[in-house]
Amino acid sequence: MSAQSPAVTGPNTIVEVERRQVGMPTPLLGMLLFIASEVMFFGGLFAAYFNSRAAHQGVWGPPEGAAPLEILPIALPITIILISSSFTMQFAVWAIRRGDQRALKRWIAVTLALGVLFLLGQLYDYSQLGFGIGDGIFGTTFYTLTGFHGAHVFGGAVGLTILLARSVQGQFSARNHIAVEAISMYWHFVDVVWIALFTTLYFLR
Amino acid sequence: MRRLAARPRLRTLIRTAGPLLVMLLLGGCLFPPTPETTQAKDVFTLYVVVFIMGAVVFVGVEGAIVYSIIRYRRRDDRLPDQLHGHTLVEILWTAIPTVIVMFLFVWSTLTLTTIDAKSDPAVTVEVTGFQWQWTFHYLDGDNDPKNDYSVTGTPANPPVMGLPIGEPIRLILKSSDVIHSFFVPHFLVKRDVIPFPNGINPNELEFTISDPGTYGGQCAEFCGDLHSKMTFTIQAMAPADYQKWLADVKAGKTPPPSGTPPPGTAVINLTAQNVAFDTSNLQVPAGKPFVIHFDNKDSIAHNVGIYQGGKEVFTGQIVTGPTTVDYQVPALSAGSYTFHCDVHPSQMTGTLVAK
Amino acid sequence: MATTTLTPQAATYRRSWILEWLTTVDHKKIGIMYIANSFFFFFLAGILALVMRSELAVPGLQFLDDRTYNEAFTMHGTIMIFLFVVPVLAGFANYVVPLQLGAPDMAFPRINALSFWLLPVGGLMIMSGYLFGGAAAEGWTGYTPLSSAYSPGPGTDLWLIGLILVGTASILGSVNFIATIFKMRAPGMTLFRMPIFVWTVLVTMTLILLATPVLTAGLIALFIDRNYGGSFFEPSAGGNPILWQHIFWFFGHPEVYIVILPAMGVVSEVLPVFSRKPLFGYRAFVFATVGIGLLSFSVWAHHMFTTGVVFLPFFSFMTALIAVPTGVKMFNWIATLFRGSISLTTPMLFALGFISMFLIGGISGVMLAEPPIDFHLQDTYFVVAHLHYVFFGGSVMGVFAALYYWFPKMFGRRLNETLGKTHFWLMLIGFNLAFFPMHMLGIQGMPRRIADYSPDAGWTLLNIISTVGAFTIAISILPLMLNVVATFINGERVGDDPWEGNTLEWATSSPPPPYNFDTLPPIRSERPVFDLRHKHDREQLAPALTAETEASS
Repeated sequence: MSAQSPAVTGPNTIVEVERRQVGMPTPLLGMLLFIASEVMFFGGLFAAYFNSRAAHQGVWGPPEGAAPLEILPIALPITIILISSSFTMQFAVWAIRRGDQRALKRWIAVTLALGVLFLLGQLYDYSQLGFGIGDGIFGTTFYTLTGFHGAHVFGGAVGLTILLARSVQGQFSARNHIAVEAISMYWHFVDVVWIALFTTLYFLR
Repeated sequence: MRRLAARPRLRTLIRTAGPLLVMLLLGGCLFPPTPETTQAKDVFTLYVVVFIMGAVVFVGVEGAIVYSIIRYRRRDDRLPDQLHGHTLVEILWTAIPTVIVMFLFVWSTLTLTTIDAKSDPAVTVEVTGFQWQWTFHYLDGDNDPKNDYSVTGTPANPPVMGLPIGEPIRLILKSSDVIHSFFVPHFLVKRDVIPFPNGINPNELEFTISDPGTYGGQCAEFCGDLHSKMTFTIQAMAPADYQKWLADVKAGKTPPPSGTPPPGTAVINLTAQNVAFDTSNLQVPAGKPFVIHFDNKDSIAHNVGIYQGGKEVFTGQIVTGPTTVDYQVPALSAGSYTFHCDVHPSQMTGTLVAK
Repeated sequence: MATTTLTPQAATYRRSWILEWLTTVDHKKIGIMYIANSFFFFFLAGILALVMRSELAVPGLQFLDDRTYNEAFTMHGTIMIFLFVVPVLAGFANYVVPLQLGAPDMAFPRINALSFWLLPVGGLMIMSGYLFGGAAAEGWTGYTPLSSAYSPGPGTDLWLIGLILVGTASILGSVNFIATIFKMRAPGMTLFRMPIFVWTVLVTMTLILLATPVLTAGLIALFIDRNYGGSFFEPSAGGNPILWQHIFWFFGHPEVYIVILPAMGVVSEVLPVFSRKPLFGYRAFVFATVGIGLLSFSVWAHHMFTTGVVFLPFFSFMTALIAVPTGVKMFNWIATLFRGSISLTTPMLFALGFISMFLIGGISGVMLAEPPIDFHLQDTYFVVAHLHYVFFGGSVMGVFAALYYWFPKMFGRRLNETLGKTHFWLMLIGFNLAFFPMHMLGIQGMPRRIADYSPDAGWTLLNIISTVGAFTIAISILPLMLNVVATFINGERVGDDPWEGNTLEWATSSPPPPYNFDTLPPIRSERPVFDLRHKHDREQLAPALTAETEASS
């Protein structure tokens, strides 16, 4: 409620103003800053990977006896799954921005399912690889990088589950859905990290 | 009013100048030890330049602080001139320090180039650092380790590295375990001793000693329990004296730490586990060399040292387990001794009887 | 308690004060808990220091063995840095920044509480090594392979996990502060009208946000090497021990600026108030702070000059460069004093102590920045002297300036000046006695992190002097403790603005009501309370400022 502005204002006159949100909403800024810190965390792990690879003598890859890394049958499909989940996440955001709660629920559920599928695929891949975290420098860096990425996907899945529960309860509207925006930023970040990982591990080699 | 103002001024002066004066009095010891290599002399010169500039900055800036505190003490309630800044002054005091630090950077880079210059060494010594001593292995370039002189130190007996003056020396620095650092204060230099993975060359340190003398050194990178005991000595002498020294030590060189004992030698078994020996009573033959077959089952370092009357009669090499090592102990005369682990002397101890 | 009229007392909703403090999300209470928790760890780490100095006073191992000494310096460094100096400054920031911004609280109050509570948990975990076979003993820098393959036992693992918790607390806090500073400033407070303390906190929090996660990555990598057969730092499996140093110091160097910048912010608040002049060169100071923050990411390998694997000229150049904005700040402070009207209150004494001692630490830092000199001085007591002149002579002096300055605001009572001055002088003298001789010891060649030294080295006298200094510092804490207790019991009560301050925290009661402000003065400069106090004295101010104020109101 804005009161009548007095005709004359001095330094100590109290004037009520209606605050308009200027710039990025605070919760989104918070998520963005948190993502910045996560970028630096993965940066540290990537630095360890590249440093170890640059100093390595001989062929860089899985140890003796284990098959070299291949993008099929698992790595490429789960990459496509995760990238698709970013699209479905964005569909969810667009849905709630127009107030479409049903579409929001649908797209969050799909995103969550795709994320879980990614994790299951990653775990299956681990079981087929033939080397472990303790098998030399390649094993250590490979599992640390993909493992922590997987942990972040899992964290995102927990966030998506909470979003799903809240959207089922009808807590989101076109004007009030900041949590959906924030989790979507996090989910896109997790996807971008995977694209960087996938390119590094399977193409740069 | 004036008297009141005068007393705080003197008190403040004494209180601020006092600690500074004490520091100045002790200031005599703010220069490095006498530099004993050609490289060290260059570093010493750089040090003097940097020190003088630092001292000038210190006196000037600290003086400005003390002056301001005394001169501008509050005397009344008048508000002073509310100066927010002065662009020209601020530009000057940004530009001048930039010039000063750039000057220091250039001088130090030139000094670095000089001291890092590599040349053809007259003597090459492979230095191996291990927890917690050194091995000096003199390489003579013929790829035959059997005729090389090598000495390994013990905590009670640090090794001596004899070197000629006036000729370039190269040290190849290797580690068997953790990172150590080879530091000789009189050479104004240290270089880290790093267990690099295969394919990365070990660090090398080159210098030319200028004056004969005995120069102490010790490990300067924290490396575990007995880091403070990891000392050594460099003995610098004229080249002719060095050749004689090398021949002498080669003639009396110590046998390798482990190898098959000659037949008939008694072998005493001793195990270390969970920071304890498996026995606190050893019986050995008197008057004959014997072998202690030492099994370190822990993953930390132990050894066996034998003492009599507070004096050390034998110190076995410290080994990090799990590992076994055979200590070749020289003959002991009949009598009672004590033995303990030099790393854990209070926890791992016992009596040794020779008869 | 409050001097404003609109203080709703929650009269119908009483709960125990324990529950209140355990569950609070009020930045003021959280700030006080941060400060109290930090001083608890300060005392612990201080006792460890006294233990070390007692052992080192004369040659020979008198009452410690090597390993216990090594645990002592490891724990001393870890606790002082991670559990005292960083959190205590974060605590003052927590209390003061929302007030200085004219905000009712932090952006994320519940995360604020979480950030605090992770600290005692992490701290106790780090210390618990003592109960499980020995605390971590590899130095606060934990170099590999000593800390990976050569330090078995839970002590180091507990140290790692505790640090990960403490680091997470820092990172969450940094998100909170940056969001608060950008989004919750009172109307009229543009970025260049923020108090300088807020600017230093902003840059500090950005450094925490970007550097601490790298440490976390390193700590996790070390944990994997120690417990899951990892090979990050294991040479026999292709790992490189030097990788740890790069990761650690990439964090470690911004960390030291995290430690010093807020203290510089405190000094920049205190000096103008007790010189009755504005901070000279506010804008330049802001740019210098931001410049230091940026440059701090480019100098890390100056801690690794002696490893032989670092491109020396680059890091030497960047390190030399970072001395420039630091020097600019020093001159700004002196110019603030110059032609001022100086009152030597206790907070002012500590602020002056800061600039005097930090100058020495800065000079020794420039000496270490030259690789040939560093080859001699690295890993000696010269570095111990340098780091204590900047950490103690710098940050800790700043912490005590903050304590004496903001104590009246927090508790409505002013600390006793005589006891405060006694604390200051004993601490200043003790500090210089303890640490100045260490310059000489290092120059003469005494390495650091040694439990014992030879009686023939000629280091004994300086070590004795240093130990005397350490105990003098300990004694100086007594008037401080007495002061705090006595003031809580019966200290002189104060109103909103006992110091004639400049910034918004002095525009509300001491202590402030839970929601901080009933009204805010107009904000037209970085000194809104000063402006309010002197709105009738415009003839005293510089004409340019008068014109600016008239034009913008």
